[in-house]
Amino acid sequence: MQFEWTPEQDAFRHKIRDFLEANLTGDWEKFSEHGPASPALTAFAREFCVKLAEAGILFPHWPVEMGGEGLGPWEQQILAEEMWIAGEPRGGQYMNVNWIGPTLQKYGTPEQKARYLEPITRGQSLWCQGFSEPDAGSDLAALRTRAELRDGSYVINGQKIWTSYAGLADTCFLLTRTSDDRKKGITIILVPMDTPGITVRQIPSLIGEGDIHEVFFDDVTVPETARFGDEGQAWEIVAYSLRNERLGIPRFTLARAALDRAVAMLQGESRFAREHVRIEAARCAALCEAAATANYAVVQKRVDGLSIGAESSSARYATVMAERAVCEFVVEFVPQALAGASPYLKMHHQRGIVAGVAAGSAEIQLNIIASDVLELPREPR
Amino acid sequence: MQLALSEDQTQVLDFIDTLARPYASVPMHDASLVLESADLDAALVESGFLDVMAVEELGPVTAALVVEKLARLPFAIEAAASVMVRPLIDLALPRPLCLVEEGRIGGPVRFLRPGASVVVVGPSGVRSFMADAGIIAAAQVDTLYAYPAAFLTGLPDCMTSHDVDAAEVLRAWRVAVAAEAAGLLAAALAATVAYVSDRKQFGRPLATFQGMRHRLAEDQVMTNSVHWLALRAAGTGSRGDAALALLHAQEAAKQVCYDYHQFLGGMGMTLEHPLHLWTYRLKLLTAELGGRGEQGLAASDALWG
Ligand SMILES: Cc1cc2nc3c(=O)[nH]c(=O)nc-3n(C[C@H](O)[C@H](O)[C@H](O)COP(=O)(O)OP(=O)(O)OC[C@H]3O[C@@H](n4cnc5c(N)ncnc54)[C@H](O)[C@@H]3O)c2cc1C
Repeated sequence: MQFEWTPEQDAFRHKIRDFLEANLTGDWEKFSEHGPASPALTAFAREFCVKLAEAGILFPHWPVEMGGEGLGPWEQQILAEEMWIAGEPRGGQYMNVNWIGPTLQKYGTPEQKARYLEPITRGQSLWCQGFSEPDAGSDLAALRTRAELRDGSYVINGQKIWTSYAGLADTCFLLTRTSDDRKKGITIILVPMDTPGITVRQIPSLIGEGDIHEVFFDDVTVPETARFGDEGQAWEIVAYSLRNERLGIPRFTLARAALDRAVAMLQGESRFAREHVRIEAARCAALCEAAATANYAVVQKRVDGLSIGAESSSARYATVMAERAVCEFVVEFVPQALAGASPYLKMHHQRGIVAGVAAGSAEIQLNIIASDVLELPREPR
Repeated sequence: MQLALSEDQTQVLDFIDTLARPYASVPMHDASLVLESADLDAALVESGFLDVMAVEELGPVTAALVVEKLARLPFAIEAAASVMVRPLIDLALPRPLCLVEEGRIGGPVRFLRPGASVVVVGPSGVRSFMADAGIIAAAQVDTLYAYPAAFLTGLPDCMTSHDVDAAEVLRAWRVAVAAEAAGLLAAALAATVAYVSDRKQFGRPLATFQGMRHRLAEDQVMTNSVHWLALRAAGTGSRGDAALALLHAQEAAKQVCYDYHQFLGGMGMTLEHPLHLWTYRLKLLTAELGGRGEQGLAASDALWG
């Protein structure tokens, strides 16, 4: 066992840091207060990701046959950490390189690959993920948005909600119902967002402009070739995608960086001497580092080619605990940070508070840990 | 970063499993507040597992793994201090090794008995002496903590000074206790999971009630991360990591000890079920080195000055 990064991994991290330092100049920090899905950051990312692509750090973890360098899971982790600490300058394009690209490569038709992969590699496409619905959140398999095959076209009717990036996305990775068989009746359709019949409505929120949306589908018609995989194959494909994205965003790194910022603010005001503040800060740091190590234990399994199971839920929950602690610390001890004194801490807060809801809630992680890590007898259904 | 067990580590842990198998379960209905085994202790000394830290290809992470593993046994074994702290001071110090903080010698001292080595750590440096009956006061006979423990009535006038940085010893001590706590947490969780999966009320196993499942899952998350933080602290040798590891372990201990006794209902109050052998060791460890607050301050000093 070795808890230090190798010199190569350190060098890779520094390469990214140097790049970020050179390219996130001026008032980037204030700018990053715009959420990752805001028009401002989306436009910024369209330029920034081109530069990343040119520097070879947009998708270095992709296999060589996809144009990547075939770097391993640790490098993918390091890349994600550095981007997230910096305020995620890739905006929504992080999804492209984390799971949309690899999923297209594995399940896409030649035509779909030709159409969608190339713009991703140029840093020029934005996707949204149309999974959740008003009545299908945690219980995703209850989704009802219908796709009916009529004369070689799918006609889609229904509603999605909480869809990040929908306002500006080019394409939607959409889950639809093609039969009543719960999980086996779900089918993926890749829908261009400018197709007639799609209405996107932004939802005002605590987490910045442009982040979450309602998306309505009224007789939206796309050719049958827009189907991704077979009818009924969505659950399998999504499981594969999540395997690429199991740990989700490395939120614990931003939480830790935010904690360090908050401490620096307190030190600057000579308010970090009081013992209760120091102890609470240390508690937060312990939770951040706990999340880091729990996540790293899962990354190691990827490195070793082992299948990743419910331990990723344990790591996810550890991350939620860390985010919660740091968000609470900032509000309690540097409340001014969220009222203009620190764009960085406000940015962290707005991203941190969703940790226990987005991409599978904290309680659902606990359910998974109970059943699949602790192997407790199942709850009656 | 490489978090998989090495072949050597797997082998050491397998050996310990084999050696400790006869001691892995408790003689039920043995109304004892603390279990010790001289035979197990002797076997461990003989096998050399308490000396892994000094073996170059094994080192501190393996030492922490050994301490963690042994702590899972229902028997209290003086391993943490001997395995992880003694090599920094003097490998020749006779066991058991009792670590006490200068200026804070009033609490129950684990494993204190005549012949034990007592190491006093603090601003005056690192000093040791061999305890004799004259300086020991027995703890109450039915002390609840599942460690053998006694009190020091004072310090002798003459102690051996050791040429080692007290801060380094404190660091290793924190890691050692965190590793021990990690093992205790894992064993207590396993015992509780087994009980609530078996015990039925309202016609179904207790473990099928979500109120219990979620708390057990949270306890698993804490247990898992205490394990990793302890190993990492052992591996990096950083003072900040050590303080964070023990802080997190003491936080976890507080949370789970309450939950597990709760989940066993009346059975959790008995000596019939072995749960207390792990939880009451954990409880005493929450007081180690001044408790959570002191670890918090130490971590804060190390991280932010
Ligand atoms: C910022 C943000 C961005 C998002 N982006 C997207 C996106 O791009 N695309 C997309 O498809 N979705 C997105 N989501 C949706 C997200 O996946 C859902 O919010 C999440 O799955 C929870 O569903 P819900 O909001 O309907 O909550 P509900 O499922 O209604 O849950 C409400 C509460 O009940 C609890 N609960 C539910 N079921 C159980 C149970 N069985 N046991 C115990 N407790 C339970 C939950 O844990 C939660 O605390 C996003 C959400 C957020 C907050």
